[in-house]
Amino acid sequence: MEKERLYKIDELEPRRPFTVPEGYFENLTQNIMSVLPEQESIYSTTIKVTPWMRIRPYLYAAAAFAGIFFCIKAAVGINSRNSSANIAQETTIYSDEYIDSFLETAMIDDCTLYYTLVDVN
Amino acid sequence: MAMMAYDERRILEMLHEDDISRRRAFEAIVNNFSEQLYWQIRHMVLSHDDANDILQNTFIKAWINLDSFMGYSRISTWLYRIAVNETLTFLNRQKANVPLETDNEGELSLADQLESDPYFDGDQTERQLQEAIATLPDKQRMVFNMKYFNEMKYEEISEVLGTSVGALKASFHIAVKKIEEYFNKID
Repeated sequence: MEKERLYKIDELEPRRPFTVPEGYFENLTQNIMSVLPEQESIYSTTIKVTPWMRIRPYLYAAAAFAGIFFCIKAAVGINSRNSSANIAQETTIYSDEYIDSFLETAMIDDCTLYYTLVDVN
Repeated sequence: MAMMAYDERRILEMLHEDDISRRRAFEAIVNNFSEQLYWQIRHMVLSHDDANDILQNTFIKAWINLDSFMGYSRISTWLYRIAVNETLTFLNRQKANVPLETDNEGELSLADQLESDPYFDGDQTERQLQEAIATLPDKQRMVFNMKYFNEMKYEEISEVLGTSVGALKASFHIAVKKIEEYFNKID
């Protein structure tokens, strides 16, 4: 029973059976730092990134999109304004009353009217 | 110049600043982690001189590759990974250099090595425990040492070794069984 208990290692107190030379840990940081090679930092050789430099690409992209948007908007706006104006003008000139009056006095039959409307030669 | 206090967030910032800040930050890292890394390495290679060499190589590698550390993991995890790789490389090289005829006397040479090591102060049971641990495969030995001697959490070991917690628990359990069997055999 005694033997079995002795070799249950998880019941033993873990202890490091190792030692180090005197003063080893006290000087360890200095010793390690003294063997580090010189290092050329990529950060020290590049320009420091400012907040303006970070947002600049996004601003350029936004300006480009805004430019394209206004160009399209201007082109579409002119066309649509023209067509709306024409329709309004035509609607004003050729009102239903005018057309009815025209048909009554035009002295044309239905067949002639049909050919006039569909523009058949 | 006095050593700066260890503040991981501030240190990560300083690593991206000028060379002087960078060196100061790294010095704080060395100061904070060198001892625990030393013990992790020492338990694997047993000799103080070898552990010291591997520790220095670990920090030199970390210093050279500082730019590749993007801060996705904790600094301790990153350093442990480098230390583990350096240690395994050392052990593999050591095994490759051992002449074939001494293979069967591995246990004896370890006992002799510990007996004559001025920096080993364990008793007979502790020496036998080291011999038993030395019979484990390298990675299992690493798991056992991290858990048993360094008292690391399974989650921490998992991050360092890239192994699941479940697999680590199984590995530790098997290691304990093997060590106990070793003791029962020599008794």
